Amino acid sequence: MNGFKVAFLSLIAGLLLYVVIDQWRRPEQMGAMSRSFAEMAEASRAQTDELRKVRLALEARPVAAALTPSVAPSVAPSVASGVPTNVGSGAAVTPTAQVPETPATSVQPVPSTVVPAPTLDGVAKLGVEFMKPMDRSYIIAAHLGGTLRMISSTPKGLNPLLSSDAFTSEIQENCNDSLATHTSADPEAWFSQLAESAIISDDYKTYTFKLRKGVHWQVPAIAERPEFTWLRDVHELTSEDFAFALQLVLDPKVDCEHLRGYYQDLDRVETPDPYTLRLIWKKKVYTSLSFSLGAAPLPKHIYGRNKDGSIIPDNQVAVVFNKHWFDDERGVCGVGEFRLVEFTADKVARLRRSTDYWSTPSMHFDTIEYNFEIKQPDAMLVAFKNGQVHLTGLPPLKYKSEVLDRKEPRFAAADPANPKAGRSGEFGWEAAKRQAFSYIGWNARRPVFADTKTRQAMTYAFPKERIIRDIYMGLGQPILSDVHPDSSAYNSALKPLDFDLDQAKRLLAEAGWTDSDGDGLLDRVVAGNRIPFKFVVKYYANSPEWDNTLHIYRTELKRIGIEMEAVPQEWKELIRVYEDRDFDAVVGSWQMGFDLDFYQLWHSSQIDAPGGSNHCAFADPEVDTLAVQLREEFDLEKRLVIAKRIQQRIHDLQPYTFFMSPKSIFAWQNRAPAGSTERNRYLAGVEWGLDHLHPLKNRSPLSWYFPQ
Amino acid sequence: MTAYLFRRLLLMIPTIFGILCVNFAVLRLQSMSLTEAMSAGSGESVGERKVGAGGWALESKIDRFRRTGNDLPALINTYGFLTKESVVAWLRSTAPNAGTKDSVRNQREKQLWLVGTFAVHPLAEVLSDSALADLHGPASQALALCAYTSIEAWDLNRLSGKRIQQIQARNRTLRTLVIAYRQTPGQPFSTADEHAAEKRAALVALVADPENAADFNRSGKWSALVTKTGFYDFLRRLATGDLWSESRKEGAFSVIAQYWQTTLVLNLLSIGLAWAIAVPLGIHSARRANSLEDHVTTNVLFLLWSLPSFFVGTLFLHYFCTSTASGAPWFPNKGLSSPDNLWFSTPRFLVDLLWHGFLPMLTLSYASFVSLSRYLRGNLLEQFNADYVRTARAKGVNEQAIVNRHAFRNSSLTLITLSSGLLAELFGGVLIVEMIFSINGLGFLLLDAARQNDAPLVMASTVVSVGLLLVGILVADVLYAVVDPRIRSRYG
Repeated sequence: MNGFKVAFLSLIAGLLLYVVIDQWRRPEQMGAMSRSFAEMAEASRAQTDELRKVRLALEARPVAAALTPSVAPSVAPSVASGVPTNVGSGAAVTPTAQVPETPATSVQPVPSTVVPAPTLDGVAKLGVEFMKPMDRSYIIAAHLGGTLRMISSTPKGLNPLLSSDAFTSEIQENCNDSLATHTSADPEAWFSQLAESAIISDDYKTYTFKLRKGVHWQVPAIAERPEFTWLRDVHELTSEDFAFALQLVLDPKVDCEHLRGYYQDLDRVETPDPYTLRLIWKKKVYTSLSFSLGAAPLPKHIYGRNKDGSIIPDNQVAVVFNKHWFDDERGVCGVGEFRLVEFTADKVARLRRSTDYWSTPSMHFDTIEYNFEIKQPDAMLVAFKNGQVHLTGLPPLKYKSEVLDRKEPRFAAADPANPKAGRSGEFGWEAAKRQAFSYIGWNARRPVFADTKTRQAMTYAFPKERIIRDIYMGLGQPILSDVHPDSSAYNSALKPLDFDLDQAKRLLAEAGWTDSDGDGLLDRVVAGNRIPFKFVVKYYANSPEWDNTLHIYRTELKRIGIEMEAVPQEWKELIRVYEDRDFDAVVGSWQMGFDLDFYQLWHSSQIDAPGGSNHCAFADPEVDTLAVQLREEFDLEKRLVIAKRIQQRIHDLQPYTFFMSPKSIFAWQNRAPAGSTERNRYLAGVEWGLDHLHPLKNRSPLSWYFPQ
Repeated sequence: MTAYLFRRLLLMIPTIFGILCVNFAVLRLQSMSLTEAMSAGSGESVGERKVGAGGWALESKIDRFRRTGNDLPALINTYGFLTKESVVAWLRSTAPNAGTKDSVRNQREKQLWLVGTFAVHPLAEVLSDSALADLHGPASQALALCAYTSIEAWDLNRLSGKRIQQIQARNRTLRTLVIAYRQTPGQPFSTADEHAAEKRAALVALVADPENAADFNRSGKWSALVTKTGFYDFLRRLATGDLWSESRKEGAFSVIAQYWQTTLVLNLLSIGLAWAIAVPLGIHSARRANSLEDHVTTNVLFLLWSLPSFFVGTLFLHYFCTSTASGAPWFPNKGLSSPDNLWFSTPRFLVDLLWHGFLPMLTLSYASFVSLSRYLRGNLLEQFNADYVRTARAKGVNEQAIVNRHAFRNSSLTLITLSSGLLAELFGGVLIVEMIFSINGLGFLLLDAARQNDAPLVMASTVVSVGLLLVGILVADVLYAVVDPRIRSRYG
């Protein structure tokens, strides 16, 4: 009887729970249903648009072909407004080029208004056109399409000015364009993007841009919602949008100090007409080039308005901008190739190819999906192995266990002779170079490291190659200066100070170090005091690689009579150490920027400047002059000469023992997903991407394709 | 029973308050100082190269500190009592010849910048004293930042347009009035500005301007002792629910609203699982006490108990959730349900939930069921030797009924007492388990917030999980009263 009662009660409870769960899921299901209806409606609208374009193009074709060239200009504007994607501006195009192609074959390059001439090499010059027309020849029409799935982490907001995280800049790169663009492989060469032409005048202080006509802002995904119908209007890109963005950057109220530093020498922005933009800088600085040409627009018709579409008063724009409703709605609006169609924090972000992009595709994929669900390194690897994402990175220790120790047979075995050996497994992998370097810095304020010979000896005693091989599993490239060896500005005449203890001993003897008291430790007299060669090196505590590296270094130093103590430091403490210059030697690392600059690290004014980066007190009058010169020099040849001379000087004086530029392992799926056994399905597209790009360019998988 | 409940509820208040204090103290000690925020903003922390010096935009850093209440002193705010002399001493201690380390000097300097309006008048007095010429540079810098008034988006509705314009104009003027100064190591500050005299006069005039008097007055210094402190501010924001998450650009509680249910469901299911395994196991062991079987189970379970959950979770992930060359994994590796679960029928949804939740639940609960079953075994053995069991046996009651109706009922008191403790353990364990199995719950959110240095979100999510925990404990207390008539009778 009792058992029956219990069973009956639990049955009732179970049924109740069932009903509750059922009801609880209902509204969400309804919401998803209406969303997918909206998506369908959008897709059908896009299709209608496409059809309209085809119809317009077909209607225009016989007219344009029949017209004589003298009549053509009067027809051109109407054609251009009807087919904004395919025609830039009608003025300088020959009549035959004006006949629009059918949009279905949108792979054709944009007819450029600028006639390519040998002077357009992309290198900035005074007073003349210099930008290269965009190069899309690498796009293979047959491979357009497909989805790329990647792991990323939820960004801190999506505002292009306020967020500085990698994800936001990646979204911006895909969804928005800038006036011109360059690649890290050849940073000196500029390709035109939103600016049709750029003229630099007034001794590199004034930049005048002519904007491309017929570029339209995307309609953001939230415009589907009834309260945002006002967002559905199509707006053309004008110079006002650039001025709006730059004025916000310069406004101290806007939370974007990471950008403001770069624009602090910008004097004013002028917009004589909707298609002309002029930036005037206060003084001649080389960085003005990349920050003028690289300026991106911001949609004034969104960020200048309230949620109900009313215009925000000018003096409140900056204040409202920090907490703008468009960011709360997770909106992204650009003029770029992709548009953000879905964003859910900690779940997913999805980009889809925009239907009215002003140019031809620059990437093969139609959809890019970022997965935010996975944060733990092990979980990332498992998600990759399960085929949920197309690629992942492998930290050195995982690289060792999964690939080198063959724990995962689906990775191809490593082959020291062939760097491409990893490509062919079911999971492909390859080492990619990174634009960063690590070093040991010698504090020149300390009597021990005040002289050049001692610092050189320290470098000779550092077994760089062996450490890279044994501790970093070969994932590093030895460097000699703060310019990457693969960069065109690298001084290849630098002679490496390879590991040589005898040479180190000789140099130490020349520097006055002897073991006078026979305790096995070198010493020398400095300012009347005999000091032993003992020092402390401080490094960031969270790095097992550096624990081992410094252990090896200490053993080598002991052999030549030097005592080194390695002290790991927590991050907060390390900041204090830098502030107080409270170290004999310190381990650090720097990112290598696009623009060559030696001022921040090596100029003597940065030794005692608050927040200065010349921690090691490196001071050399020649480097000081050259670093200042380089900041004002625009001529490429001269820039390279100066950069190479500075590198030579730094190499001679050895303020740092330059260690290496790290490589990272990234892995991708070669197998088709969803249980298919087809091998090496994606390999061709990935290999094409890898071999197509310069080794220094960030190997962004976005430039790959997946064969259909 | 009501009295008992009431008593339990009252007891929660000091508990919550104590936890809030600890929470606040830890985050205060861990939070970024203005110096660190500045060096982080300039790209120093990530080893990023920056172009040009300066351009630090201190105002927006200060805005950020004010938004999170991090600019205020922790417990007592005595800034209202600053005098000219104390400000002079403060400024002198930040000079390059003060004999302290740069980090200490920087720290003091930034602290002064965060004082706010209370420092305006003393600083203006320093500026109007021409005998203190060396301090005019740093004093003008500090004055410009202390007199700077933040205007946030929510102020736009609160203040009139004219007032906003006045404040913005004043902020702009203040920026231009900073007197440039030099900091040469080992020497006092020295002014390096040809317009120093005019700027000084303008600053003093700006402070004396009756239009600004209301903003810079010090009348509230007594009430500020307590109310203008970090702890008070934290409690106020907690009570009104406007803790602001900088990393999500959203109110902390509206972020948490999307996460807490998952954690609660996971924890409740884990407790259910722990009981479902522990009770039969405990009874079984107790009835076969000291047999070989019992020894083996005991030892195996203790072995299990000693394995940390992050380790077991990772093992599960690698061995049961990873596809191999030969086939698909047994269990899913992420989330609590399939991505397309929305379109599943309810039974399929439930099965899917169990399939996804099984390993996380097991990882969370194995330590609990091990300890629960051992306690139950010990307690049952004690009951078996009790007089009433002997009497029952003598009466000829069957063994099943003795265990279920008599002995187990008495032992379940121990189980309930232990469960509330286990709940606390679960809330700790959930941090790791949610991270390993990529489940979007409170633990996941908490670790992510900690990674992004988002103190208000960390605070809010700890408070919410503590709240959930206390509710769990309350439920255990109530059950205790339901099961044990002695408690009921004590409270009438």
